[in-house]
Amino acid sequence: MNRTVVETSPAPTAAPSSSTPVKPPRRSGRPRSGTPSVTRKAQTRLGLILVAPLMAMVVVFLIFPLGNALYYAFVDFNGINPRPPFVGLDNFVELFKDPSVWAALKNNVIWIVLGTVSPLVIGLGLALLVWGVRRGSIFYRVAFFFPYILPQVAVGVVWGWIYDPTRGWLNRGLELVGLGSLGTGWLGNPDTALYAVLGTAVWATSGFVFVILLSALRNVDTELVDASLLDGAGPLSRLWYVVLPQIMPVFLMVTTITLVGGFSVFDIVFIMTGGGPAGATEVLGTYAYGNAFQLNRISYGTALALVITVLAIPFAVWLNRLQRRLSLQGMGA
Amino acid sequence: MKLRSTLQAALAAATSVLVVAGCTGTGGAASPGTAGESKTLRYLVEQPEDAEALKKLETRLADFEKSSGIDVKLEAMPYDNMRTVLQTQLRSGDGPDVFNWGSGPGFGGALAKAGLLYDLTGAYEQHGWKVYPFAKDRVTVDGKTYGIPGEMETVGLFYNKDLFAKNGIQAPRTLPELTAAAAALKAKKIVPIAASDKEGWQGGHLLSMALSSAVGSEGMDALLKGEKSWNSPEVVSALKLWEDYGKAGYLPDFPTSLSYDNATALFYSGKAAMLPNGSWLIRELDANAKFQVGYIPFPAQNGPGIFTAGLGSGPYVSVGTKNQDAALKLVDFLASPEHARWLVQNLGVIPPQPVDVSGLKLSPLMTQTLQDTSKLASDKSDLGYNIDVLTTDVFNKAMWDGVQGLLSGQRSAEQVAESLDAAFKK
Repeated sequence: MNRTVVETSPAPTAAPSSSTPVKPPRRSGRPRSGTPSVTRKAQTRLGLILVAPLMAMVVVFLIFPLGNALYYAFVDFNGINPRPPFVGLDNFVELFKDPSVWAALKNNVIWIVLGTVSPLVIGLGLALLVWGVRRGSIFYRVAFFFPYILPQVAVGVVWGWIYDPTRGWLNRGLELVGLGSLGTGWLGNPDTALYAVLGTAVWATSGFVFVILLSALRNVDTELVDASLLDGAGPLSRLWYVVLPQIMPVFLMVTTITLVGGFSVFDIVFIMTGGGPAGATEVLGTYAYGNAFQLNRISYGTALALVITVLAIPFAVWLNRLQRRLSLQGMGA
Repeated sequence: MKLRSTLQAALAAATSVLVVAGCTGTGGAASPGTAGESKTLRYLVEQPEDAEALKKLETRLADFEKSSGIDVKLEAMPYDNMRTVLQTQLRSGDGPDVFNWGSGPGFGGALAKAGLLYDLTGAYEQHGWKVYPFAKDRVTVDGKTYGIPGEMETVGLFYNKDLFAKNGIQAPRTLPELTAAAAALKAKKIVPIAASDKEGWQGGHLLSMALSSAVGSEGMDALLKGEKSWNSPEVVSALKLWEDYGKAGYLPDFPTSLSYDNATALFYSGKAAMLPNGSWLIRELDANAKFQVGYIPFPAQNGPGIFTAGLGSGPYVSVGTKNQDAALKLVDFLASPEHARWLVQNLGVIPPQPVDVSGLKLSPLMTQTLQDTSKLASDKSDLGYNIDVLTTDVFNKAMWDGVQGLLSGQRSAEQVAESLDAAFKK
């Protein structure tokens, strides 16, 4: 309050005093850093030279193909005609009316939900189990991470054998334990096919989540955990109120990766079922590929690929911002 | 910072479109030439069912290499993989110089339309290749001939003669007899018909067999020329037959989960009595089946029915080949009468050209098939059509998806017929 009075009632003839704001020094032509302009120009040139290769790569491998994709989405290119006719938004209008697109999108949504939640839950569970393990920790890390580094094609082929209705291990195993009636043609039964492929993907992804979360758990403040233990917090309470907040940024990063992967899923579905039987496992990625390269509807396939991208961006951006905010708040490992 | 992170996320997500965008080349733009011509050729073939066949082909190509001085790098790829990657390879310019692929609009025709094949019209005149005219028509698009039509083949029902005899069942000569035989086999816990459809394309064979026998070649002509609609009662009936057989348990559980190889294995093991398949399997059957095998056309309602016939894979030249002369020399070798005779004897393959088989030692199944396929050229008998080599990719997708939907209980025969009709009109 005193300060306000002083500022609002200055003496009209008062000489400059210590309370008067000090004016900044007048800017002169010389830079404050004292760096010679020749050096600054050289630094700028060097910066441009260093950035140029990366920029060239971004332009060649990202901007140009993206522009190319946009162009093809607005024409009707069948792979032959060097001057495809401009069709405006026709490809986009068609895909919104195409029931197969909606069916594929529904499968994508199932994939995104189950394919994100399951690896997170399994990976976190495994990480918590191995967190306190002193001996053999490396073995578990390698064993659980191994499926993730295997080529998706190999994973798809091997799991295709496991699901095989006549010679597959799964049906044989069920028979051995007296549950033979549960056996089915896993990849050919429309009721199980998507979940069978999804199960394979979850198996391959959980190891990745496990390794990342285990690394994050190593940085958790164990004193807080011990304190909560003394306060009588149960395992779930400790996980929810003490552990998870500390690893939240990493958790969100892993969530972003698995979630965005759910939009662009392609290879494992393509290898295991090709989208069949009769579209039962079709996702947007396989549908786009089929149109572009099997039916020669390259423009339609490109439009679909753009839609996949547009659908994924808001989630990626939102999770990215959330992660950044939590990091700035000082949360996390 | 926000803008930066948003841009980063946008750019990162945008990379997913590169899969499509990066591959959108202008197929067929490359012009063949002799610049940079080398003496090495890449020759891609479908992975044969019998690994021994590939070795024999390698040996045969060694003869060509010796006489021509051209090095041939033989590559083999499973049919299903080839179906999905061949066009992409050819578009990217990373395709083989010469490759074997199916004849007809759904196979070589689609590649020709995409501008990915070298025009062999002039080479035909120059070398005088003696291909049956009906077969040459199947590799001719808009007046230009793009390939050497592949082997002549039939599609029908193989059956285990020993298993039939053991269970007192005669080879069916009519559709009611086939149904009765299937019921009897099922009662004895034997899979009556080892139909597979995991890959999808087998569905085309199943429909081709049932429909060809039901309407004959004239009826098939009418359908394929658009004079008769694909949702006509005959097509619905042919589709419904497989739907009913599936529901009655005459097919394996979920044929859509059974691969082509598994179905063959089921037949070899004696667990299945009949196998819908084609004459390309004869050599393998002769070598591996531990029982007597019979081969019949899919029966018609009131008679034995007719074989479904078609042309298999033959050589084409990629439009982008840098080894045009060498590629043409290889094709000339593959189209020669000497090679045709070698194919019959060694691979059990019947080329669509006159073949001198005197002195060759052939199995009864092979001899029967030679007689059946020779009718293709002489018009002595009625033969059906293998639909998928005569129709477009759009129609084939509708047919393959449709039969899969039928066998997995997702669609009815009527719905599939409607989708076929719609696809045919596109």
